[in-house]
Amino acid sequence: MRGIRTAILIAALIVGATPHIGRAYDALLSSSFDVDRPINDSEAARFLQQATFGTTREDIAHLRAAGYEGWLTEQMAATPSLEMPYLEWFSQSGTPYQQERVEAWFFHALGAQSLIDPGTVHRDQLRQRMAFVLSQLFVISDRLALIGREPEATTSYYDLLISHAFGNYRDLLEAVTLHPAMGNYLSMFRNRAPVPELNIRPDENYAREILQLFSIGLTHLHMDGSQVLVGGQTVPTYDQDTVRGFAHAFTGWNWHACANWDWCSPDWIAPMSPMPDYHDADAKQLLVYDGVQLPGGVLPAGGTAQSDLSAALDSVFYHPNVAPFVARHIIRQLVTSNPTPAYIGRAAAVFANDGTGVRGNLAAVVRSILLDPEARYGQFQNPLTFGKPREPLLKLTHLWRAMHASAASHRLKEWNPELSLYQAPLRAPSVFNFFSPTYSPVGELSGMGLVAPEFQLLTDSGLTAQTNEFGRDIYYAYMGNPSNDDDDIVLDLSEDMPFAAVAEALVLRYDTLLLGGTMSVTLHDVLIERLSAITPATSSDYLRERVQEALYLIFVSPDYAVQQ
Amino acid sequence: MDRRNFIRTTVGSLLGTRSLTSVFGQLALMEASSALSGPVFPDYRALVCVFMLGGNDGFNTIVPMSGGARAAYESSRATLALPVSQLLPLTPAADGGASDGCSYGVQSCLSAQDTVGAEGLRTLFDTGRAAVVCNVGALIQPTTKEDYQTKGFPLPPQLFSHNDQQTYWQTCGGAGDIGWGGRMADLLHAANENMAVPFSISASGQATLLRSNTTSPYVVGSNHLDAMEFIDGSGHGSTRVAFEQLIAQGGQSHALASEYANTARRTRETYALMSEALAAAPPLATEFPSSPLGRQLRMVARLISARQSLGLKRQIFYVEAGGFDTHDSQLIDHPGLLSDLSQSMHALYLATQELNVSNNVTTFTSSDFGRTLSSNGDGSDHGWGSHHIVLGGAVRGQRFFGDMPDLTAGGALDAGWGQIIPTSSIEQLAGTLGKWLGLTDSNVAQIFPNIVNFQLRDLGFMA
Repeated sequence: MRGIRTAILIAALIVGATPHIGRAYDALLSSSFDVDRPINDSEAARFLQQATFGTTREDIAHLRAAGYEGWLTEQMAATPSLEMPYLEWFSQSGTPYQQERVEAWFFHALGAQSLIDPGTVHRDQLRQRMAFVLSQLFVISDRLALIGREPEATTSYYDLLISHAFGNYRDLLEAVTLHPAMGNYLSMFRNRAPVPELNIRPDENYAREILQLFSIGLTHLHMDGSQVLVGGQTVPTYDQDTVRGFAHAFTGWNWHACANWDWCSPDWIAPMSPMPDYHDADAKQLLVYDGVQLPGGVLPAGGTAQSDLSAALDSVFYHPNVAPFVARHIIRQLVTSNPTPAYIGRAAAVFANDGTGVRGNLAAVVRSILLDPEARYGQFQNPLTFGKPREPLLKLTHLWRAMHASAASHRLKEWNPELSLYQAPLRAPSVFNFFSPTYSPVGELSGMGLVAPEFQLLTDSGLTAQTNEFGRDIYYAYMGNPSNDDDDIVLDLSEDMPFAAVAEALVLRYDTLLLGGTMSVTLHDVLIERLSAITPATSSDYLRERVQEALYLIFVSPDYAVQQ
Repeated sequence: MDRRNFIRTTVGSLLGTRSLTSVFGQLALMEASSALSGPVFPDYRALVCVFMLGGNDGFNTIVPMSGGARAAYESSRATLALPVSQLLPLTPAADGGASDGCSYGVQSCLSAQDTVGAEGLRTLFDTGRAAVVCNVGALIQPTTKEDYQTKGFPLPPQLFSHNDQQTYWQTCGGAGDIGWGGRMADLLHAANENMAVPFSISASGQATLLRSNTTSPYVVGSNHLDAMEFIDGSGHGSTRVAFEQLIAQGGQSHALASEYANTARRTRETYALMSEALAAAPPLATEFPSSPLGRQLRMVARLISARQSLGLKRQIFYVEAGGFDTHDSQLIDHPGLLSDLSQSMHALYLATQELNVSNNVTTFTSSDFGRTLSSNGDGSDHGWGSHHIVLGGAVRGQRFFGDMPDLTAGGALDAGWGQIIPTSSIEQLAGTLGKWLGLTDSNVAQIFPNIVNFQLRDLGFMA
């Protein structure tokens, strides 16, 4: 059986996207899927697009050798790369700011040689990618000056996401809730019990956003992510009373080891500590759902800050919505903007139970998402709609990874990528992230009921800024350009230049490396024509110019805008 | 349905209807819709929407200074209340006082660094250029406290969720998240000589208000319009030719790639038009604050100055100001936000005077919702009804419109903890603006279906 499946698969891959492939895909899906490694470089490249910050040739070879499970196991066992050590290292020579945190982020995202421990290379690509995915779920942003002033707050918060990336969602939820950066971003910090004579009641900010954005969303969902409908209407997961209930539960938290409510020293790293006198001990209305542990969802009176927090987070964690909500977020971030309900359902099922009875196992969920047939072969089932717009920031990390970018100074001073790419880690415009998960451009996509969240950033100014950014990065910032200074991050074009002597060879090479084998006939033909016009007769450095022209046209092409 | 079928059926039906998608890009739209007979206007008029992100505290923006309203305010707001000494009184016209007969003011300067405070708004109000529209918010129909507590009573969904209410403010619940500004554009676009010029412009990214079935809003940065240097700059001719082949209409098979290509074509066409017009416009003398809001409104003023060479009669602009979600440190943060709002809007008004279009540009504020009367300790939480400001030479300024709500805790309009039920709907505010912009009554009813539920479709604040 396996041989036949493999044969169908090979046929599918060779022939390309035609109606035959849909049938081959259906045949695959109907039997149990057990292809254990990429069949060719393009397949490997596609997987790496989903699981890293951008495909490299080295990773393709390694993935093909290790196989999917082997690669995933290695990645999950790889030493986590944390940002705090970088911040501490930078502190030796001056006050660090948010920019140093962003620089550390780039060292990890690029999988570069460590700046602070030169013998080490940051290899934990999947963990770092997951942390970035989680940072777009449990959003905080240094655009809020209160947080922006405290680089160790945002740095330690991001490290928490890195450390928990393959852990349990419930642990992550509690760690995020108690981190002082989140406490200050969504005002749970120093949230106190009501003072009726002053018409003061607890702050509802965190209570609302933890439900709406971090865990369950606004309406009841089936496990496949579709809306539960009653009488044709969606069913809200909570109301104002519930928000107030959670707001009252989240009272009494202050800086770590605080002894005096109004006068204790800030600690932007350690978890917040509870102060009993400021916690509201009344009964509270929490979530109501099938199988909810608390009768009527009501948390009885008499709890402490810690016990009420645990109960509140459990109330959230066991809500059925969490599974499809979180699964869908990860799928949309890594694989495709419009997953089939069945795909969401499979991933949600793993969230609900990883196979050993554990709920919330993020490692199992991401493994399931990446190995799912829809991730591996969805582009054949829906060749015209499968996939997602590439995040602008990840286009940059891809360019730099694929082209072995580095600076002579060994630094990575890309401190404000949001200026041209509209994204930077922990720098979203608001708690609603860089883009809305339901964004759908008016026109064909909205007509088909498809979302393209990342395209919210593809405005006139956004698209223009991207083309200019990549122009500078490719045409100016290359190794060997005497105009660059030591801090400029420059591409190493030397490996690809020999291939440029034969245009077809370079184009094929980049089809695999940059597009996972999905290059259109149009892009191919345009590249060949354009590159062929660059010859020793027209240019003194024609191989380099061919490489640059190919890179630029690909990076600004409609093909590359999509990760299929 | 699958993509090929979609294209086939949509293309077939496109040209017969008024609902054209942006699949074809701006220039083709112009050709296709030249058959539409557009309205004819003798003058230029523009709306400028200032959206305060996060839910502005309107009850600490327009603040009672006397009478029963002041007593209620002090009692319900307690630690959030602004003392009278920190307020600049608004002096309404004889027929323009607040409906509760009390006097109101705006915040004065609260620090040595900010000597202007909300003075700009006060001056604009007192000189008849600005009006206050009271207690506006999301409603399907007039709503009492009893209605609100009745299960099944029609209310807009998710009243206290930021993104839902930002969307609701900008769409009034229309399908497909099409903005009411976009629907105005659909109806008025043909009034502009050259329909390739964008009708709507946002200086703050994708704006739901401007989402439209037939027009593509142009999104500008607030500093300058940028060209694609490495494609349209000199010396890149061959790259340009190649790029144009890649983004050619109909040349992409994947739906997402096609969307990217459409955007790229449209962006280049629009840039060419807009940059030429902007370059020809005389420089603006009026100074604007250097804040993000100030810079956006300055860009708006520059674009307005280019209207004649672009043959524009009607436009809608959209800008955003952030930071209004004052759950924390409200008394520390809010004054600075209002000061910036006041200075920026005042500067815009002065710029329209410089350009001789002060009677032709109407600016209005908007925000997700208001905030709770009650405090959470050092701030407020998500509320509902809130006061807004309309500004421009055509505004019947120096007046309060709509009903002032009772600010008593637990009072007649208190939906809970000081979330005040609005007494005027977003439709009523927007419909009044739309009429001024040139919509007929039936256009307004078409764009705002719920407006029939309200007694006044025109709140009367435009001359």
